[in-house]
Amino acid sequence: MSTVKTESLRLQLDRSANVRSIIKQFYIFVVLALIVLAFSVMKLDQGGMFERGHFLSPDSIINLLRSAVPILTLSGAFTLLMISGHIDLSVGSAMSLSAVVYAWMVLNGYSFLPAFVVTLIMGCGLGFLNGYLVTKLRITPVIATLVTLSAFKGLALLIVPDGLSAIKGGAGQVMPDWINYYARREVLLGLPWAFWVAVFVILLLTILQRKTILGKYAAAIGGNRLAAELSGINAVKMVWLLYIIVGFFAALAGLARASYMSLGDPLSGDNMELDCIIAVLLGGTAFSGGEGSVSKTVVGALIIICVTIGLMTVIPAYWQTVAKGSVLVTAVVLNHLLVQDKVKA
Amino acid sequence: MELKEVKHLRKPLMVSKISDESFITLFMLGILVIVFAIASVIVPNFYTAQNMLNLVTNNWFVIILGIGVTFVLITGNYDMSVGGNIALTGVLSVYFCQGVNVSQNALANGLGLPYPVAIGLALLCAMGVGAVNAFFIAKLKVPSIIVTLGTMMLARGAAQVITQGAQRNTSLPDAFGVLGSLGIPGTSIRLAVLVMITLIIVAYIIEKKTVFARRIYLIGANPEAARLSGINVGKYLTALYILSGLLAGITGILLASEFKAGVSSRAMGYEFDALVIALLGGVSITGGFGSVLGMFVGAIILSVVTSAATGMLLSPDWQFTLKAIVTFLAILAQRFALDKRKS
Repeated sequence: MSTVKTESLRLQLDRSANVRSIIKQFYIFVVLALIVLAFSVMKLDQGGMFERGHFLSPDSIINLLRSAVPILTLSGAFTLLMISGHIDLSVGSAMSLSAVVYAWMVLNGYSFLPAFVVTLIMGCGLGFLNGYLVTKLRITPVIATLVTLSAFKGLALLIVPDGLSAIKGGAGQVMPDWINYYARREVLLGLPWAFWVAVFVILLLTILQRKTILGKYAAAIGGNRLAAELSGINAVKMVWLLYIIVGFFAALAGLARASYMSLGDPLSGDNMELDCIIAVLLGGTAFSGGEGSVSKTVVGALIIICVTIGLMTVIPAYWQTVAKGSVLVTAVVLNHLLVQDKVKA
Repeated sequence: MELKEVKHLRKPLMVSKISDESFITLFMLGILVIVFAIASVIVPNFYTAQNMLNLVTNNWFVIILGIGVTFVLITGNYDMSVGGNIALTGVLSVYFCQGVNVSQNALANGLGLPYPVAIGLALLCAMGVGAVNAFFIAKLKVPSIIVTLGTMMLARGAAQVITQGAQRNTSLPDAFGVLGSLGIPGTSIRLAVLVMITLIIVAYIIEKKTVFARRIYLIGANPEAARLSGINVGKYLTALYILSGLLAGITGILLASEFKAGVSSRAMGYEFDALVIALLGGVSITGGFGSVLGMFVGAIILSVVTSAATGMLLSPDWQFTLKAIVTFLAILAQRFALDKRKS
């Protein structure tokens, strides 16, 4: 009698675990679909589906994807870092600093390639510094990257001349037209280079995560650092490398933003770290690391962009912060319900 | 042989007459003296009585926040929601006591409550933000840095919604500005500074003399051991986050009263400053270590550095870089000092 009971209980538990894993696999796509649906039925009275001004009109979709470029570029690398159980709060400031440096170089007569390469190398340097603080000096990631957040932001503000709010063309100097070719000029399907680069980055990082030892090692370090080190993984080197990768893509995202706005705004990357955390959590990466997926983070990133852009058309701008905060808290709760369970079991 | 080993083990304990905590506080006090001496030599008009008083009185808000943040940090958690909480409480205290239907402008109309009721309710909301933090951290076991960043956005966002992204400063009762303008005549010591000093003393007594505080240290040093020895960790975390929210609320109300306005962008980045002064004062990042007095010393160090930078006519943009460098050096110096002492 009792064995039958436990047997049926076990079956029930198995089934609920199955259901949960199926929900976990697909809920994020459902959430994205629901959000898109919600914004597409809004304002239908003012114009038909797919027409000008509608959420799903080609113009609107292109605009949405163009504004999604920075987070798409950055969130993949951020996922890898979080899978390894580390965090980088300085990505927003690294973006701003890169945007400022890129705009400064363009304004001062450097051509595209040198400015592009130097900015990316600087990004690697910023990541290198973060990695050094975390792995070599062993400062807690949150504190170390909060310190560099402040430092990078300070540097970006210092590069911008006094009295100006950003690096931009003025009386003496003219910002060359070509600065916005990278993130604005259409190359394919109405979308600019920056977007296709972001797509390439996502594909590359997905492959890196799934097919190479980089992804496996990151997960191993996040799952159990001691076990990973004992089985011969050089955790210090791996984590350091991940910080450099994040710095690199933060710079790439920063110069896409600078190119999009045709100026170097030292505050343009503010709160990017929060957007990245939201995207990663929505994508089902565990807080403590050990598991996660780059491709799902991308869906999470699209959700944030849809909410940000979609809400702009329906409610006043001062609702933005509350909206984003709610998405973050919702992501935390969903993540708790669906991901953390596995740890306990 | 055995006896020898025991003796050897006990030796460091017998040598150290003061605890590591007092050692770090004294160490940072030494650094404060050095930094102050350098600033006095380099910066003109720095070594004056008025300026020294200002170093303490101009930073009352960060120090009040620092008390809550220090206790939370001792348990090994972060509270990044304090800045948003200040903005929310300030705005609410204005909104609750603005007159009803006094103007066409939506920003001039409030709920028309008496001022004491208004600040009471605003403080309750501030504690509510702390309670939400505690719920996620103690019940759902979510990392505190992520949750409190979320509640920071929610609190500041709510302040922005109530003020429509700007500020509320009209149709306020006369009582509103009283708290912020009270003070000892002829000096820069205002009521807020006295509140800060009282809170520091109370916090110091709690920290040194109560079981409550000793248990907080245990939770920070080893949460699992604390739980196994019968401490209800969740309850303590809840109490601390609500306390931190309350302190942010008090700061928010005093600031709103001082400026006679509820501004939604008030206290941007204060959460970072509060964390920085706690770290400067030797509160350990990994929990279980630190003191309120150390935090106070840290606050004065930061204040000396920033006001010296202003005195040398550096552009205000320097503050971010300076704070980063000072924090980084402080973390390294403290670790170096503790390592030296132990070896």
